[in-house]
Amino acid sequence: MVTKGNPLLAIESLSKRFGATQALDAVGFELDAGEVHTLVGENGAGKSTLIKILGGVCVRDAGDIRIDGRPVHFRGPREAQEAGIVVIPQEMQLVPAATVAENVTLGAWPQKRAFGFLPVIDRAAMRRRAADVLAQLDFHHDLDARVDALSFAERQLVAIARALSHEARVLVLDEPTASLEHREAERLFAVIAALKRRGVGIIYVSHRLDEVVALSDRCTVMRDGCVVEECRQGQFGTDHLIRLMTGRDLEELHRPHKTEFGPAHLDTGSDRGGFVVRRGEVMGLTGLLGSGTSAVLRRIFGAGSEPATVSLRGETRTFRRPADAIAAGVGLVPEERRLGLVMNFSVRDNIALPSLDRLSGSLRLDTAQIDRLAEELMESLDIRPRNPSLPVSQLSGGNQQKVIFARWLASHVDTLLLDEPTHGIDVGAKARIHHLMREFVENAGAILFASSDMLEVMNISDAVVAMRSGEIVARMARGGASYNEGALRAALAG
Amino acid sequence: MAQGRETTSPYSRLLRNQVPLLALVAVCVITAVLSDRFLSPVNLNNILLQACVMSVIAMGMTFVIISGGFDLSVGSTVALSGTVATWVMLETHWSVGVTAGIAAGALVGYINGLIVARLRVNPFITTLGSMVVVRGIVLLITDGRPIVGDEGLPDTFLELGRARLFGVHLLVWLPLVLFAVFGWLLHMTAYGKRIFATGGNRDAAFLAGIDVERMTASAYAWCGALAGVAGVMLAARLQSGQPTVGEFYELTAIAAVVLGGASLRGGDGQLYKSMIGVFIMVVLANSLNLLNVHSYWQRVAIGLVIIAAAAADQIKSRNT
Repeated sequence: MVTKGNPLLAIESLSKRFGATQALDAVGFELDAGEVHTLVGENGAGKSTLIKILGGVCVRDAGDIRIDGRPVHFRGPREAQEAGIVVIPQEMQLVPAATVAENVTLGAWPQKRAFGFLPVIDRAAMRRRAADVLAQLDFHHDLDARVDALSFAERQLVAIARALSHEARVLVLDEPTASLEHREAERLFAVIAALKRRGVGIIYVSHRLDEVVALSDRCTVMRDGCVVEECRQGQFGTDHLIRLMTGRDLEELHRPHKTEFGPAHLDTGSDRGGFVVRRGEVMGLTGLLGSGTSAVLRRIFGAGSEPATVSLRGETRTFRRPADAIAAGVGLVPEERRLGLVMNFSVRDNIALPSLDRLSGSLRLDTAQIDRLAEELMESLDIRPRNPSLPVSQLSGGNQQKVIFARWLASHVDTLLLDEPTHGIDVGAKARIHHLMREFVENAGAILFASSDMLEVMNISDAVVAMRSGEIVARMARGGASYNEGALRAALAG
Repeated sequence: MAQGRETTSPYSRLLRNQVPLLALVAVCVITAVLSDRFLSPVNLNNILLQACVMSVIAMGMTFVIISGGFDLSVGSTVALSGTVATWVMLETHWSVGVTAGIAAGALVGYINGLIVARLRVNPFITTLGSMVVVRGIVLLITDGRPIVGDEGLPDTFLELGRARLFGVHLLVWLPLVLFAVFGWLLHMTAYGKRIFATGGNRDAAFLAGIDVERMTASAYAWCGALAGVAGVMLAARLQSGQPTVGEFYELTAIAAVVLGGASLRGGDGQLYKSMIGVFIMVVLANSLNLLNVHSYWQRVAIGLVIIAAAAADQIKSRNT
C-alpha cells in the first residue's frame, strides 16, 4: 500500500512516563484510511498506554498526533471521539438494561416534539438509524432486545455499530477476539473487511498472533515502550513476531511431552460418560464459548450451581463448598483473575489465603513463616517484582496468574483445575504458565484445564476432551506428536 | 500498565497514611487556640467520656465495613441493650441485666448478618429496616419512658457509671481492653485476614475456601454485640435505660470509621485509625459546643464531614 499525501493518523515520537517507568519512548505509528494496522507486544510493552493517549484517557508527555495532517491534542475521551477516534475496550461500555437500538444511538438520540412542544425521543427515527448502521455490518438482530440478553459477540457488534453511528474514522479494537468463539471471530473479521471498504482505519490489538498475521496490512511490534519493528503484510509470520516481542526463540518456550502416566487420579464418572485424568497428566477441556467447560470445573470444585460427584484418588467425593475441595487437595484457578485475587491484598496475603489455618500459630498468624513461604514461591515461580508486600493489583496479568499458582503450591494441592489459565496474558508469560503446568504434573499431580484457545489445548495437553453445550462430544489422546486439528474443530462446531 | 505507578518518597507516604491523625491534631490545636476551656481537665474528661461509648460502637462498625458491609442499626441497638439491661436487672441481678443487654445487641447484629449473608439483601436496606424495627421494640418495651426502677437501679450498676480509676471514669478504661482484644482479632489472626479477604473480594475469598457467609454474619454479630456493650455503658453513665438515646450514633460511627481511612467498598481499614476517627468526631462536636455553635448547625457540620469523608475515600480509590 502506497501512502499518498497525509496518512489518516500519524503519530510521531510519542512519549509518556509514569513515575519511574518510561511507558512510551519516542513511538511512531501511522494508519491509512481503509487499513488494518495491528499492534502487538507483551504486557507492559506500551500498547495500552498508546491506546489510552489516542482515546484521550491519558495525556502525552511529548510527541505529535496528527489526523489528516492536522495536529490534535485531546483533553478527554469526548474530544477524541469528536475527532473520529473510537476505542472499543475489552470491557465494552454499553448500557445493559437499554435496547440494541438505544445503545447503537446512545448519546445522539433523535428527538421530536410531542404535541408540538414536548421534547421526546423519536423512537421510530432512532430504530431506523440503528437498523441502518447494523445493516452495514450485516448484523440483523431484534432492535428492541435488551443488550444484557445478548451474547458477548453480539454486544461487541453493537459497540462497533455505535462507533460507526458516531462516524468513527479510526477504530481501535483492543483484544476483540479474546472472548469470541471461532465462528464469531470469523464474523468479526467479515465486519472488519466491510469497515475497511468504507475507508475506516483500524488499529487492532491482539495476543492471538495467527489472527494478527492474517489480518494485518501492517503490524507494529512493541517492546518496553519502544517500536521494535514495523512489518508489512506477507513479510512476517508468528515465529518472527514472537522473536520480536520476547527477544527469544520459540523453541525455548516449548518443552517435550510425556507419554507415561500414573494411576487414575480424578474420575468424573467415566462409567457415566465422564473422563479420567491420570496422575502426571494434563487434560485439556475445550469447547466454544458457552460450551460448559467452566461449569465442569466449578462443579467439581463445589463452586458451581450443583456439586459434581467425582472419584479422587479412588475415593468417591462430592464437594459442596470450595473449602471441602481444597481440604481434599484440589485447587481452582478461575477464568478471570479478578475472581481469584483479592486485589488490594499483598502478594504475600494472596498466596497465604487458603492456607491460613496451617500458617497460624497458637495465638496469631505466623508472619515469619508466611514471609518465608511467599519469598520462596516468588523466587521459584519468578514472580516480578520480587516484593511480597506489593498489592497484587500492581502486578502484570501474567504475574498475577503466577500468584494464584503459588497459592495452590503453598497449600500442597495435587489436583489443579485451571479455567482459561492464559486468557489475556502475553506470549512470554503464557509459555511460563505452560511450563509451570508441566512442572506441576511431573511432581505427581494432575491438571484439568479448560481453554477455548484450541492451539493452546493442542500444544499443552496430553489428552483432550471436547465439549458442546454441556455435553462431551469427543475425546482424543495425543496421537504421536500432535492432534488432528480438523477432527477437533469439526467436533466442536457440530 | 502495571509498572506505571508513581513512586513516592517514604515521608510523603507516611504523611498520607497519617492524615486522620494530623486532622485530629489540627482540630485540637485550633480549638485550644480559640477556647481556653478546651484543655481544662473537666473538658478533657468530658471528651473521653463522650468518646468511650462511640469508640466501642466504631470498633464493631470497623469489622462490618471491612467485611464489605454497612450497619445503620447500631444507634437503635444501643437503646435496645440499655433498656433491656436495666429492665432485666430490676427483676434479677445487675450482672444478668448486663449480659442480657449485650446479648440483645449481639442477636440484632447476628440477624442482620444472616439476612445480608444468606439472603444477599443489600446491607443498607437490611440495617435501615432493622434500625426502625429495633427502635420500635425499644419503645414497646419502655412505653416510651426511661427505665429507672421504683427503688432505683442496683447500686453496683450505678456505681459502674460513676466510679473512677486513677482519676478517670471506669467506663473510659473498658474500650482500651476491648481495643486490645479486637485489634488482635482483626489484625493478627487468620479470622481477621478472612474478614479482610471477604470484604476485599467476596468471590475470590469464596474460591480460596473461605466461608464468606459465616465471615459476613460474624462481622455483623460483633458489631451488634459491641453496640450492646456501648448501650450498657451508656445506661450506666445515664444511670437509667433511656429509650431515645443513640439517634444518629450510626452516622457518627460510620463517619468515624471512614475518617479513619477504611474503605466503604470493604477490605481496607485499621482499628486504631477508626479510634482516631472517633476522636475527630467527638472533639469536633466538643469544639463546636465550646465555640457556642448552635446545635442545629452541629448537625449540618457532622453531615458535611460524613460526605467529605466518603468523597475522600472515593477520590483515594480513583488514584490507586
